[in-house]
Amino acid sequence: MEPLLEVRHLKKYFYGPAGVNHAVDDISFRIEKGKTMGIVGESGCGKSTLGRTIIRLQDATDGQVILSGKDVTAAKGQELKKLRENMQIIFQDPYSSLDPRMTVEETIKEPLILSRRYKNKKEIDDATTELMHLVGIDERLRLAYPHEMDGGRRQRVGIARALALNPEFVVCDEPVSALDVSIQAQVLNLLMDLQDSRKLTYIFITHNLSVVRHISDDISVMYLGQLVETSPSKELFKHPLHPYTKALLSAIPSTDVHHPNKRILLKGEITSAINPKPGCRFAARCPFATEACQQPQKLEEVLPNHFVSCCQIKKINSEL
Amino acid sequence: MDSEEKPMESEEKNIITEDDEFPSDLESKNDHHHHHHGEGHHGGFFHHGHRDERTENEKEEARKGSFLKVRHLVVEYTSDEEVIHAVNGVSFELNKGETLGLVGETGAGKTTIAKAIMRILPQPPARVRKGEVYLDGEDLMNAEEKRMLEIRGNKIAMIFQDPMTALNPVMTVGSQIAEAVHLHNAGISKADADKKAVEMLEMVGIPGERYVEYPHQFSGGMKQRVVIAMALACNPELLLADEPTTALDVTIQAQVLEMINDMKHKYNTAMVLITHDLGVVAQTCDRVAVIYAGQIVEYGTKFDIFDHPSHPYTNGLFGSLPKLDDDSDRLSPIKGLPPDPRQLPRGCSFCPRCPLAGPECDQHHIHMVEISDGHFCRCVKAVPMKKAEPQQEEKGHQEV
Repeated sequence: MEPLLEVRHLKKYFYGPAGVNHAVDDISFRIEKGKTMGIVGESGCGKSTLGRTIIRLQDATDGQVILSGKDVTAAKGQELKKLRENMQIIFQDPYSSLDPRMTVEETIKEPLILSRRYKNKKEIDDATTELMHLVGIDERLRLAYPHEMDGGRRQRVGIARALALNPEFVVCDEPVSALDVSIQAQVLNLLMDLQDSRKLTYIFITHNLSVVRHISDDISVMYLGQLVETSPSKELFKHPLHPYTKALLSAIPSTDVHHPNKRILLKGEITSAINPKPGCRFAARCPFATEACQQPQKLEEVLPNHFVSCCQIKKINSEL
Repeated sequence: MDSEEKPMESEEKNIITEDDEFPSDLESKNDHHHHHHGEGHHGGFFHHGHRDERTENEKEEARKGSFLKVRHLVVEYTSDEEVIHAVNGVSFELNKGETLGLVGETGAGKTTIAKAIMRILPQPPARVRKGEVYLDGEDLMNAEEKRMLEIRGNKIAMIFQDPMTALNPVMTVGSQIAEAVHLHNAGISKADADKKAVEMLEMVGIPGERYVEYPHQFSGGMKQRVVIAMALACNPELLLADEPTTALDVTIQAQVLEMINDMKHKYNTAMVLITHDLGVVAQTCDRVAVIYAGQIVEYGTKFDIFDHPSHPYTNGLFGSLPKLDDDSDRLSPIKGLPPDPRQLPRGCSFCPRCPLAGPECDQHHIHMVEISDGHFCRCVKAVPMKKAEPQQEEKGHQEV
């Protein structure tokens, strides 16, 4: 099956006084239509930069993004404009991603008007009403401003706006992180229902590992700008292979009161990807690091559909 | 103070009455059924209502017992002539070396409770309408401000959620810690205070030579360690930790929780841990109080709460969590939103969102029911049950 989205050797570097930040460094993956790819990693690992570069909110330094057979990274002018309608983003913070001076109606309407798909005001109004129904915002909130709504409702407005032009592909950048648990579950259910009814393809960026397992078909684990492990999501949680993934999963505080976490405590903290050395970027914190880790690492398929970037992988996992 | 019967505002609106029984093991066991509003006596140990009529003996009784006692705490905020009922009769106890988890959503009143204990609520707009707090037998609500200055930072310390805003950006981290040491140890020389600050930094895993660095030179996790070092610098007996790891990544959260747990065991500190993360509670707390709309709706040991969640809200919280070992497609969230704290429902505050709600739920103030030994639930549908044997906790982590 043709993938809906293919990312090939994508790079995004930021040039600053301290050096070159390799925020996204040679990342490749593909997502099939209607599936969700979860991107997990700690703050500063480049996961948001990856999402934003894919939908071209910022230009890539190198590499290609192919969406439905069209090259996003090379598109220009009208062609890019058309492509943008097909790829949307839902932001993390519903408090700062909505214009405080626009009502719910105006926020949702704006992309509808700009698209020039509709003939008259009536059609636009009807489409707005339909979108509000779709995401579960009450009709009486039509003229409400963002400050009058709670975080969950604001995030619904953000979702309605993202879906206004019926995109095939949506980047969800920590869409539920700012919400309370009970509201978080409502929004997650909504996102999954919308995916079913509209055959949406998601990239779901989050640091919350239980959320990502719940919603994703595949998960990619990022560390300092690179993918260290990619696998179907259940497989990843069952058999994490990379030492970083293992530590990350063991650090999730479990709600099982009878079996406290057997935490793998990592030394130190995530550093930065400014002028990185060629070897494995996790080596400094890795309990298994050796000389060989100073060499560049490659993402290799060690089990069916399960890719890991670690030269010590066979030593660490005796079952391989 | 007013009596139990007296409504705070108009009769039409919700009524928050003097709260009822005290969730503690000392509670008498004759209180298995729900009491109608104003029915009077609940539980032998805890006298309530008509506070002014209490005898000296009873006041003496209240001072004794647990290390920290919070009773009937009621806090309001006033804004534009509107009264926001933030904390509506919260009572709990805590012993030394124990950790109590306060769990609830944004706006449930968790932070207000902690600030009220420490008496750092801005008044106005906040007002502690009533309530008693005893720390080691000392009445904090009636202590003089001068005494509170001695207690704060010394006997009670607080760790705030956001390490980025809790530190002074124009002071080196070392001098911020030394300042606390200096304030609470009369006559300590500057050199000794500095030495203590370096010691504290090293204890939380920051090299002593970083004493002279400023907060912006540290990462988020490191800053939170600095905040913790500062909080622990005077060996507090009570630690109020307000979402101490919420702003941190999981691997750093694991390090910080590990550290707080070690400190707690080393100094036998009592801790109130405020969080919305049930995983963090399961891994660090002994007892849990689930807060909803300013009230404790369920209280018990962590085994009570995690093995036998009984209040519909607690169950709703668990249903909302994506589970790591569950493959079901849909979550079962709690419908609706928390109530408007200006107009809390009469009766059970969870009633409008509750799947079990019936006609008896929205009429009267709902009292705590002891459903098993030490496990309390504020729900008319709660039924006393047989308690399972708690399993021994095994501690284990692998240091690599």
